Amino acid sequence: METSDEEKNRPPGNESAEIERLKNELQREHDLYLRALADYENYRKRSDRERATAARSGKREVILSLLDLLDGFDLALRHMGDAPASITEGIDALHRKFLGLLQAQGVTPMRTVGETFDPQFHDAIGLVENEEVAPGRVAEEVQRGYRWGDEVLRPARVRVSG
Amino acid sequence: MAKAVGIDLGTTNSVVAVIEGGQPTVIINSEGSRLTPSVVAFTKSGERLVGQIAKRQSVLNAENTIYSAKRFIGRRYSEVQSEIKNVPYKVMAGANDAVRFEIAGKQYAPEEISAQVLRKLAEDASKYLGEKVNDAVVTVPAYFNDAQRQATKDAGKIAGLNVLRIINEPTAAALAYGLDKKKNETILVFDLGGGTFDVSLLDVGDGVFEVRATSGDTHLGGDDFDKRIVDWVAQEFQREQGIDLRKDRQALQRLIEAAEKAKIELSSAVETTIGLPFVTADATGPKHLEMKLTRAKFEQLTADLVERCVGPVKQALSDAKISERDIDEVILVGGATRMPAVQALVRRLTGGKEANQSVNPDEVVAVGAAIQAGVLAGEVKNVLLLDVTPLSLGVETLGGVMTKLIERNTTVPTRKSETFSTAEDNQSAVEIHVLQGERELARDNRTLGHFRLEGIRPAPRGAPQIEVTYDIDANGILTVTAKDNESGKEQKITISGSTQLSKEEIDRMVTDAQSHSEEDRRRREEVEARNTADSMAYQVERQIQELGDRVPLNEKARAEQLISQIRELVKNNSSDVSRLRQLTSDLQQVGYGLSSSGPAGQGPQSGRPGGPQPGGGDDDVIDAEFKET
Repeated sequence: METSDEEKNRPPGNESAEIERLKNELQREHDLYLRALADYENYRKRSDRERATAARSGKREVILSLLDLLDGFDLALRHMGDAPASITEGIDALHRKFLGLLQAQGVTPMRTVGETFDPQFHDAIGLVENEEVAPGRVAEEVQRGYRWGDEVLRPARVRVSG
Repeated sequence: MAKAVGIDLGTTNSVVAVIEGGQPTVIINSEGSRLTPSVVAFTKSGERLVGQIAKRQSVLNAENTIYSAKRFIGRRYSEVQSEIKNVPYKVMAGANDAVRFEIAGKQYAPEEISAQVLRKLAEDASKYLGEKVNDAVVTVPAYFNDAQRQATKDAGKIAGLNVLRIINEPTAAALAYGLDKKKNETILVFDLGGGTFDVSLLDVGDGVFEVRATSGDTHLGGDDFDKRIVDWVAQEFQREQGIDLRKDRQALQRLIEAAEKAKIELSSAVETTIGLPFVTADATGPKHLEMKLTRAKFEQLTADLVERCVGPVKQALSDAKISERDIDEVILVGGATRMPAVQALVRRLTGGKEANQSVNPDEVVAVGAAIQAGVLAGEVKNVLLLDVTPLSLGVETLGGVMTKLIERNTTVPTRKSETFSTAEDNQSAVEIHVLQGERELARDNRTLGHFRLEGIRPAPRGAPQIEVTYDIDANGILTVTAKDNESGKEQKITISGSTQLSKEEIDRMVTDAQSHSEEDRRRREEVEARNTADSMAYQVERQIQELGDRVPLNEKARAEQLISQIRELVKNNSSDVSRLRQLTSDLQQVGYGLSSSGPAGQGPQSGRPGGPQPGGGDDDVIDAEFKET
């Protein structure tokens, strides 16, 4: 054992140095103990918090994957020009129903066109000339953005007036 | 007590991790993501944006949005001409030929830009941890020279961080796998990131890493693989529909995302579908894209990219003057190493070695940096060494079953106590048989030791309370103590090396237990049925003695008959569980009848007797075998 060798080799009358060493060691161990305790405490607090939000984040995943489908409706409706009114209306009704379901979960589409571009909510994919919209404001919405309560679920993809 | 974090400051993305309770954890940033884009933007209104938010406005503000600052940090302007061509922002020469970015008429050093990224990471870490973060270990590529390392350190300083150390990315990856504990090994780190490819050969010995050679390709990464899919899909679509999707910014954006998704899916599936309804339109109406992409086709499209990894690996080996056979460990870093073709290539280049890849390759560098930070902050030394008991520990109880006190995979140090009792009247000593293993019966497990606790005062079986404590300290040393609560007499045994089994031995014991689980369960059930029956016989017998003449003769005869039948079965170690249970239940009914017929009776306590199940009585006493001697 290393320590016992050290003890044997140490000249007598060196107790104060030994006490000092042990004091330091105790201090170090106590520090490690407090760290471990603090880590555990923080971990516990965070896992409490995470448990509270776990259900929400599970739901978030599902809603995000549904947005892809919602985008499909948006695109489809944009191309409805020549389709018979009965088809257009039906698709439109389906779209509204789908949006309604998500709205019931607290998901709301963002306002974009005409708003000042804000990277918190908007993901810019380009600049466009647009005389009706002041520069620096959103001129076109390419893909809808959604909020979920206070949270940005997905930023809107936009073109900004240049 | 401030925490020290580990930061992987990447060319494209950065990651921050921390040691918590001895384990590395990747920190989620304020946008909810584990990766933070290494992008900094200065808006026209004078605001500074960092990360994902900066990226979202980059097309509007390309000249004031700095990405890939890492390609410039610590370098001379004259060295970076080829890099300047690839970026839309303005790069110029400052004093002493230093690289400067010009943003809105002001000059910024690359370290000032990297400082913004580091500051955001540290702030997000502070928010996540609930305490201020001041200290950090930051990683750099192994090939970084002194100037580049110093500049990275300065970036930390500008961010208000105390940079404890700058370490090499491959070294961090090796630390994440605990390879610093290896003696004289050679490690190949294969790092294929989003946009860069690095190969490093390290030697490790006595906890010190030495870089033997580095090589790579500064413009090869996962993004190139995505682009191959985009081009293929776009060409096919153009052939069929006559429209080039790459000319339509919106369609291209959707296609790039779909390509990356397809690439990721093809790492686990052999075929995927790229589906983009209403991807574009022409005079004839809307066009839809739906294409199947097989892994084989994808590998064919990207075969040359994979081959480009060969040269740098060979170069590194030849620079280090070693052959593939000298490589002991292989580590995969970077998301692109999830691709099966890349993994196959690495196997081919390293003589068939299986790579370390259990740590997320996007995060392994930050994890290693966090471990180094923990070591330097003095908190890993003990905490990280926290071990687990590889096998369960227990004591033999009545009928030769093993009663577990400490389950396998419990983190040590740990301490567990249970109270047991005697199996016979007037038993004066108990034998403690310390066992290790996963099998139900004592004899199938490993014996760690035996000892006896003597001097128990004469008492009916089940009355003495013997507290047995298993304590494993942080060094894996097991101390088993048995204490007679009444006399205070105590006896103990210390067993070191209870955790020093080879991995093969442990695996064998666990597999054995699994393969025998059905038969073990049945045998344990038999033992328990006999124990319960025997205990019931004992209690009813005592009851009859206590009640004496007050027991009606016919009931007494019925009870005695059942008792003798039970005793016979117990003596012969009967495996007839259903008969034992039937007799026990019949005898219990008789016992109830007796207790109502006389004032002294209490009736047998059904859950309590004989068996080694915990929780039988209110006092949580477990009756153990503790054979009489």
